[in-house]
Amino acid sequence: MASIYGIDLGTTNSLIAVMDGAHPKVIPDPVTGDKLLPSVVALMADGRVATGKAAIELEPSLNVEREGAISPAVVNPEAAGAVIRSVKRYMGLGGDEIAPEDRHRYTFTDFSGPVVRFQIGQRSFTPPQISAEILKALKARAEAVAGEAVEKAVITVPAYFNDGQRQATKDAGRLAGLEVVRLVNEPTAASLAYGLHKMAAGKVAVYDFGGGTFDISVLNLKEGIFEVLATNGDTHLGGDDIDVALVNLLLEGLPEEVKRDRRVWNSARHIAEEGKKRLSGVAETTLKLNLPGREIERSLTRAQLEEIAAPLVARTLECCGRALKDAGLEAGQIDAVVLVGGSTRMPLVRQKVAEFFGRDPLCSLDPDLVVAMGAAVQAGVLMGSQSDVLLLDVVPLSLGIETMGGVMERLVHRNTTVPTSVTELFTTAVDNQTHVDVHVLQGEREFARDCRSLARFKLGPIAPQPAGVPRIEVTFLIDANGILNVTARDQRTGHEHSVDVKPSYGLTDEEVERMLEDALDQGEADINQRLLIQVRNAADEILSALDKQLKEFPELVDPEEKSFIDVIAGSLRAARKGEDREMIGNLVEQLNIVSAPFAQRIMDQAIKEALEKRNVDEV
Amino acid sequence: MDKAQCPACARLQEPRLICSFCGAPLAAELDCFAALGLPQRLTLDPAQLEHLYHDLGRRLHPDRFANQPAAVQAASLKSTALLTRAFRTLREPVSRGLYWLELRGEKLSADNKQVPPTLVELIFELQEALAELRTAAPAERDGLVAAMRQRRQELTEALAGALRELTANFARWDEGGDPVHLTRELKEILSHIAYLRSVLRDVDRELGDGTI
Repeated sequence: MASIYGIDLGTTNSLIAVMDGAHPKVIPDPVTGDKLLPSVVALMADGRVATGKAAIELEPSLNVEREGAISPAVVNPEAAGAVIRSVKRYMGLGGDEIAPEDRHRYTFTDFSGPVVRFQIGQRSFTPPQISAEILKALKARAEAVAGEAVEKAVITVPAYFNDGQRQATKDAGRLAGLEVVRLVNEPTAASLAYGLHKMAAGKVAVYDFGGGTFDISVLNLKEGIFEVLATNGDTHLGGDDIDVALVNLLLEGLPEEVKRDRRVWNSARHIAEEGKKRLSGVAETTLKLNLPGREIERSLTRAQLEEIAAPLVARTLECCGRALKDAGLEAGQIDAVVLVGGSTRMPLVRQKVAEFFGRDPLCSLDPDLVVAMGAAVQAGVLMGSQSDVLLLDVVPLSLGIETMGGVMERLVHRNTTVPTSVTELFTTAVDNQTHVDVHVLQGEREFARDCRSLARFKLGPIAPQPAGVPRIEVTFLIDANGILNVTARDQRTGHEHSVDVKPSYGLTDEEVERMLEDALDQGEADINQRLLIQVRNAADEILSALDKQLKEFPELVDPEEKSFIDVIAGSLRAARKGEDREMIGNLVEQLNIVSAPFAQRIMDQAIKEALEKRNVDEV
Repeated sequence: MDKAQCPACARLQEPRLICSFCGAPLAAELDCFAALGLPQRLTLDPAQLEHLYHDLGRRLHPDRFANQPAAVQAASLKSTALLTRAFRTLREPVSRGLYWLELRGEKLSADNKQVPPTLVELIFELQEALAELRTAAPAERDGLVAAMRQRRQELTEALAGALRELTANFARWDEGGDPVHLTRELKEILSHIAYLRSVLRDVDRELGDGTI
């Protein structure tokens, strides 16, 4: 049997791991040796894709502009592409479900549909397509190291992910050419990595505070069986939120247009994150942000950072309280506490968690690696090499159907062990009714309108009969991935009904198929022709952008530089008429390089003006 | 009962969760007791129940059949779901009692949810106190809350008493008592418990999470 790999598809970083004998091993990048792949994807208008550090390097020059922001680059920003971070925050959600602060980070083509689409140049991408690029990069990394094709994977998800978010993660796997053998909840995976099954019996709490999400799972361990008793969390609570608060602090008092500038914002975010990390080791640090014509320096103490982080940590502890209550346990009954996720490096987090549970948490494994390692252990279980271990996970949110008066009737309660199934009998309300509509919901609220719509389906066709006579048995089965499957059967005839479930959010199977086919079609098309068109487009973009900027800012270019630019631009114009793709590409790159200082000065001047304007205003 | 066919070795056999010839999941339709291989008796040892659940879970779980044909995987999924449901249904005495009624074609209807005669007075006072607490001025709240906690204590004691009655009823079933009488009694006890639990929830909602 081919190896199954374990993948931690994180908000901030992603990793791939595999069992090496009896131990999980994270696979580093064969060139750089990095174990963490930043979950950052750069998509360029010409179809090129970069991931990880390479994508981060493109960040300053490649961004879809927000309205009113200062134009940062020589090339036309509309066509330049985008660098997307934290795509996990958008997975499986409809436009109306995206957190307000996440709505303005990027440009979206469609906000009303069942799936959001990032607008990049003339094209649009769904979150699973972007996540698939991260998965492809991990797959390539593992293939380079292992020398074998990587086809099957276990992918981890936050325990509190709903059905749609889980489905979207599976879709991403498929789009990356991976068979997702199992989705595993991140905290559960972490407990596997700790080898807690060697502990004879006990109750374990896994506190997973990452970049974008928070999860708490309470487990009962007995003879190798990891039984999740309860889980709780918040899919929009993480270290990112602390970084954003720090950025706001750092940029306080600056003009709005400077704050809104993506380049300024990105470097501020980077500086804030680094400062936050330093404060885990020292009591005070300085945040230095270099802006054109101005340097911003702010000192930040650990106490200040903790003041910012405290309300977020308090929210995590509320989730812990709810999980304990659902598990029917008191904090004092927990035998071990495991810390997962980069945010648990903060001393405040460790201290508060220790106070809450009344014991020191376990943190001997690197909190950034532990989830991927656990995914590899679960992959080992699926390959049959870890037969002493068994995971019994739960469904995080209740599942039900909409009944008369818009009331949610709960069929599967939250924290029910999966796989699980429940059978419900449906009938008709009026004579000769040929279809019954079923609306499936997920959530804890009493009314359908307050719960998340999961899917809709029609039962039928039903042979015309008096009302109440047809009896259709519908089985709602939640599989080991926490994903719903629906089957129906006529109780009298025993005939299976086909159930065409329309997910309320996310992609349909057909859409995923189409995306896969499109990708293949592109591969079969005349690649050379396509690449030629792309490189010509890139040439047009940079030439027209430069023309415009040379006219607008003649004082910012020095004569020698200008003549240099003119020469290369002239050669590019000539080459563009020909078919030599490589030559056009080289000239575009050269032109980009020689014009970069000019572009930089335009950018700097814009920021400087904005800052000066503010200074004048202040006087 | 119909024979079940193993999805792996295709042999016909008595319905059970695991094929007695090859050990593959069988996905037979079974009641909750049969799924766990238990006789239909209401008195259960929680430790034994958990042991059976873990043992069968280990052998049936989809994790064990990841590289098997689709039919075997589907059977594993179906029988694990059934096993989980059986365990959850039988583990808790109240849901076990309700399931027992279901097996006998009986159920607890809404009008069964009655005030236990012995508790009429306590519950009447309690409803009054709840109404008072809802409209109380902040200054009076503390005193009323303290009184409410006292009543809550009485309620939990009453609930514990009802659960003991349930255990006794279970024992009488297992000793082969009169089903007609025992069914009536079981319904009565279960409806008392349902009532007490819903009042307790009201009280807890009013007191906030602090008392739980």
